[in-house]
Amino acid sequence: MTLPAGVYAETYDQDHALIRTRPQWIWFALLMIFVLTLPLYSSGKVTGIMIVMWITLIAVVGLQINVGYAGQVNMGQSAFMGVGAYTAGALSFHFHLPIWLTIPAAGIGAALFGSMFGLAAVRVKGFYLALTTIAAQYVFAFIMIKLPKAWFGQIEGLRLNPVSLFGIEFDSDIRIYYLVASVAIIMIYGAWGLVRSRTGRALVAIRDNDNAADIIGINVFYYKSLSFFVGAFYAGIAGALWAYYIRYVLSEMFTLWLSVWYLGMLIVGGMGSILGAIIGTVVIRLLQEFITYFGPWMTEFKLLSGIGGEIIFASMNMLLGGVIILFVIFEPRGLVHRWNIIKESYRIWPFPH
Amino acid sequence: MISLLSHIINGALSGLLYALVAMGFVIIYRSARVFNFAQGEVVIVGAFLFWTFAQYLEFPLWLSLILSFAISLVLGLLIERVVLRPLVGEELFALVMVTIGLLVFIRGLVLVIWGADVHFVPPVFSMKGIKLGPLMLDRGLVYGALMTIGVAILFSWFFNRTRLGLEMTAVAEDHRIALSLGLKVKRSIAVAWAISGALCTLAAIIFVSGKGMTFVAADIGLAALPVALLAGLESIGGLILAGLLIGISMGLAEHFLDPVFQGGVGAVLPFAVMIIVLLIRPTGLFGWKTIERI
Repeated sequence: MTLPAGVYAETYDQDHALIRTRPQWIWFALLMIFVLTLPLYSSGKVTGIMIVMWITLIAVVGLQINVGYAGQVNMGQSAFMGVGAYTAGALSFHFHLPIWLTIPAAGIGAALFGSMFGLAAVRVKGFYLALTTIAAQYVFAFIMIKLPKAWFGQIEGLRLNPVSLFGIEFDSDIRIYYLVASVAIIMIYGAWGLVRSRTGRALVAIRDNDNAADIIGINVFYYKSLSFFVGAFYAGIAGALWAYYIRYVLSEMFTLWLSVWYLGMLIVGGMGSILGAIIGTVVIRLLQEFITYFGPWMTEFKLLSGIGGEIIFASMNMLLGGVIILFVIFEPRGLVHRWNIIKESYRIWPFPH
Repeated sequence: MISLLSHIINGALSGLLYALVAMGFVIIYRSARVFNFAQGEVVIVGAFLFWTFAQYLEFPLWLSLILSFAISLVLGLLIERVVLRPLVGEELFALVMVTIGLLVFIRGLVLVIWGADVHFVPPVFSMKGIKLGPLMLDRGLVYGALMTIGVAILFSWFFNRTRLGLEMTAVAEDHRIALSLGLKVKRSIAVAWAISGALCTLAAIIFVSGKGMTFVAADIGLAALPVALLAGLESIGGLILAGLLIGISMGLAEHFLDPVFQGGVGAVLPFAVMIIVLLIRPTGLFGWKTIERI
């Protein structure tokens, strides 16, 4: 993390702080005020978009730790999310447990499922690992449909009632928004701390060269599993919130393509940076909403006639594939790299470097 | 008994079809060290091209076949030149992601060009089944299986006996060393992509001949993954064994396990087999074992 010139830390606490300067505090406060008051004056549609944005953010930040920091290619994030959604859904549906228990439980459930693939990551690498995590998707979809109907509802899925916490019932979008936003902020804060810690540095060492990391005494087995554990934990939390927002859980919601979208968000935002995960998620989600909004309009003007309702699906795919290819080839460090350059040149202006 | 036998034989035949699709993966991986996730999409582009020529433009069969093979060969070259050449020497994650991006992109493109309707592909092989004792076999699949074995033998010979093939094998070992020895790395990789593009169309024609298809048929690319992995990403001969293994175990699963689980085991079993094999042998059955150095 680069700092403007003239910022000195005089105590260890200052050195540890995430927010170091007064302008950073001001921007942070403005951002917090913005996100926390947003549903009060925006329309219901915007609130809905923002809820999905927060949930996606949790899943993508988890994926960033797993893929961007630890370097383990994970194409099963949406399956892990599904495991979380089913865990939270079933605990609420059958046992009516409070959500301060079910949401962490969903995280743990998904994390345990994810760690199984973390164990595979110790043995297999690279393309083989990517393919193994694709298998997670198929195994997940199969198991959830085949387990006894009384558990997860098979192809009918689970229908949930609104959940409540401290007497507040989360039955409207605005209330869900505050639940989701507060959980997401806690999770993102945690991620920011984790990647700066000893653990985060061990993960980066493994990403850069796992054999070398092993030789300097990093327990590769432990940290590779841990990276899947943490990544899937985030996915599980996201899945639980998704279940409580949609109030319906079905394995078909958690497809391989959702995982690919999440990876696309990482690529666009930038690998190996929590801020990158946030930027990527926001940009791609907004593009998706843009297409959903303008898709029908394109059909109306016969720009791409003949495929009718599939137009949105087709243009979504071309957008996702297009941005992944373009970013990998032309801007592999993602938008966060651009952002850092802009920030740096603003700080040292008018000097060129 | 007859049902069991027919499950086994049909399983083996479709396993060999998967092996043919997987051969497309392996040939690229053997020289370019890239795993092309978009292989299934290339297959389906081949199928749609064939449909366009044979059904839509009503060209004669032989001309449609030649044209679809030629265009998919060029498509393979194009993908290599435009998308993967700029990434030579990049880290693995970039290569994984770019081919996945390609998969998603081509899927959208196929939808835009050909739409989402069911397309009926004219039969290349006679639709009459082959009678083998009490069993009726799909003629297309039987011919396809024979072709797969033939093509596998051909390419095993090509990679182990001919000069170009050996050059490509050397390139697969290490791009930089191959380059420093004066081997034409770019040519080897381009040849691999072209061959793989053409193989995709062969698989496509066997797969969809005489059937209705939509863009979702591209999922055969994902279904073929376990076969490629089981064989180990470098072995062509191993594909036949892996294809048979996976196909027959699918057939057995359909016969014995589907009644218990109300169907669907056949589709997920290959992935389960794949995970178990990878945990025991991380490089598949016949993959090259490489020593990692720092």
